Amino acid sequence: MAPKPITSPVPDAWYPTLSVFMLAIGLVVTASFFIYEATSSRRTRSLTKELITGAVASVFLGFGSLFLLLASGVYV
Amino acid sequence: MGLRFDLLLFTIALLSVPVLSDLILSRVDRRIDLTSQVVRTTSTLKVENAGSDLVSEVLLAFPDSQAKHLAYLSASSTEGKGKAKGSAVSFPVEIVHPKGMPPALTFYSVSLPKGLGKGDSLTLDVLVVFKGALQPFPEKITQADIQLVVFYETAYYLSPYAVKVQSLSVKLPDARIESFTKIENTKIHGSEIKYGPYENLPPFSYSPIVVHFEANQPFAIAQELVREIEISHWGNVQVTEHYNLVHGGAQSKGEFSRLDFQARPHVRGASAIRHLVAKLPPRVHSIYYRDEIGNISTSNLWGDHKKTEMVIEPRYPMFGGWRTAFTIGYSLPLQDFLFQSDGKRYVNISFGSPVNEVVIDTLIVKVVLPEGSADISVSAPFPVKQGQETKFSHLDLVGRPVVVLEKTNVVPEHNQHFQVYYKFSSLSMLTEPLMLISGFFFLFVTCIVYMHADLSISKSSPSYLAKLQWDEVQAAVQQVRNIINRCLMIHDKLEASLRDLSRTGDVQACKSARKAFDGLLKDLSKDLKPLLASLQTSPQAAQILPKVEELVGKERDLQERMMAKHSTVVDSYEKKSSGREIENRVALQQQKITALRQEVDDLLDLIDEI
Repeated sequence: MAPKPITSPVPDAWYPTLSVFMLAIGLVVTASFFIYEATSSRRTRSLTKELITGAVASVFLGFGSLFLLLASGVYV
Repeated sequence: MGLRFDLLLFTIALLSVPVLSDLILSRVDRRIDLTSQVVRTTSTLKVENAGSDLVSEVLLAFPDSQAKHLAYLSASSTEGKGKAKGSAVSFPVEIVHPKGMPPALTFYSVSLPKGLGKGDSLTLDVLVVFKGALQPFPEKITQADIQLVVFYETAYYLSPYAVKVQSLSVKLPDARIESFTKIENTKIHGSEIKYGPYENLPPFSYSPIVVHFEANQPFAIAQELVREIEISHWGNVQVTEHYNLVHGGAQSKGEFSRLDFQARPHVRGASAIRHLVAKLPPRVHSIYYRDEIGNISTSNLWGDHKKTEMVIEPRYPMFGGWRTAFTIGYSLPLQDFLFQSDGKRYVNISFGSPVNEVVIDTLIVKVVLPEGSADISVSAPFPVKQGQETKFSHLDLVGRPVVVLEKTNVVPEHNQHFQVYYKFSSLSMLTEPLMLISGFFFLFVTCIVYMHADLSISKSSPSYLAKLQWDEVQAAVQQVRNIINRCLMIHDKLEASLRDLSRTGDVQACKSARKAFDGLLKDLSKDLKPLLASLQTSPQAAQILPKVEELVGKERDLQERMMAKHSTVVDSYEKKSSGREIENRVALQQQKITALRQEVDDLLDLIDEI
């Protein structure tokens, strides 16, 4: 039985593209988070909306920065 | 001198030792290769069992002076003869101390798993590699001298068994041969000396020979080599090697003249180490060659799909006794070296240094496995000293387990593959992105907490109360703006329905749309009333209130005119008047509508700025 080689779960060649897209989406969601924070007044603010926007933004930014590290050669 | 004493001991012991077991070596052919800094001896022994018992081991004897330089020993035998040779089967070898043997000898025992029956014979190929057996003589030379080394060996094969026929061939590098011992049956062909054949020699026969010759091949000795192999499951194996090289040949005395060296390199400095050749696996990338000062640019690389070759030159040519230290690093693709079998993962990678013909005094191989690896075990083709430590690297919580393998006296024959087995669940790969995600989320939570927190000290001071009221005014104005925007959108929809009317001529649809919009506008103006009321009562809104009221008034005006225009147009359509008439009728209204719309937009912008 020939041993099966193990590769990364995401193909190497996709790292730069994935990092650009994920970071772009993450930054857009971050921008919308901060716009919401700036334009809403104390009464109209909703904690759920803030937390959800923050969570989505941090997921995309987290994955985007991971793929950015991998694409630039820091194999974490 | 020590050799003469040994010889004396042997001749004495020779007369007093009993014959060991019943093996006879019917034919021994030895080839000693002195073309490199390590001495490689290949002996082909034809072992015959002349007795009646099954023999399961063959003893190999070495004098202690040789045995202390022994770095690698392998014994194998090939099945079949001639063209039908099968693959070599290697036998386990270990050191033994049999009793009743002459002193100053080291014995290695080759275990034959199938044993040698009565009358059977077996061809055994023994490869022995000695490190440091070539001694420079003279020990100190100047830059202009040639490097001569001396090699001690025995022309008769030293063995605890009797040897029927034997021969020895010593291969020297293509350079000057200073002198060699001449005994009977000694011939020299070019750079190869042949001793033999000698027949019917008793056990432990010994005839010392000395060969003194010029050796210009590089005597590169790495006193310490630390190889760090870091595995990352995201697709990369990073190998970093730290070398501490010394030229192990004749020590250099006197001055070094760079001019002489560069003008006549083969006369002044033939034995210097100018470059080293390293053989790397294919598909290697991101190679660097640097030392404490920085990058060393004197290197060359070429490769194809089978291997990659790198030639590196140290910053200066190395003469005897000179040292240098540098680091080589390279990255390899993960799928060539990491495999899965039976639920465990294993790394299959080479053990020794990729640099050709370098011997290592102490080799330390560190395999850094990703965080979360468990059940680590090592399988190596030769004994190594194992240890474990932890390394903290990128995005690590508890550190990565490191397997440390240490071996002394490593020669290029040790550059075989070894395996490290471990268990790793694929879900553990998610800890790294999760750490980054939680880091970013912490920033967002900090932001939210900051916006929600009320950090004012006094809750009843006039400025604090004024701020609270201004917040409320802002909220109300925001909502007014939203409503006005929605009204404007409905106006746009009215215009669109008028255009649809002019296109399709469907009056009923237009009328029903108008009804819907009327209802919406009524709701919106109802919503507007409480907001205006709150703004009127609030003292903070004094500045903005007139503007807001003006805005609301203008918007109402606009609404009325739009409705009037709409009705006029619909009526005209019912009466089937022409397009030109309709336009004339609504022209005035249209002008006012456009002007009002502009003013409303300006007011909205003004309110935004406040």
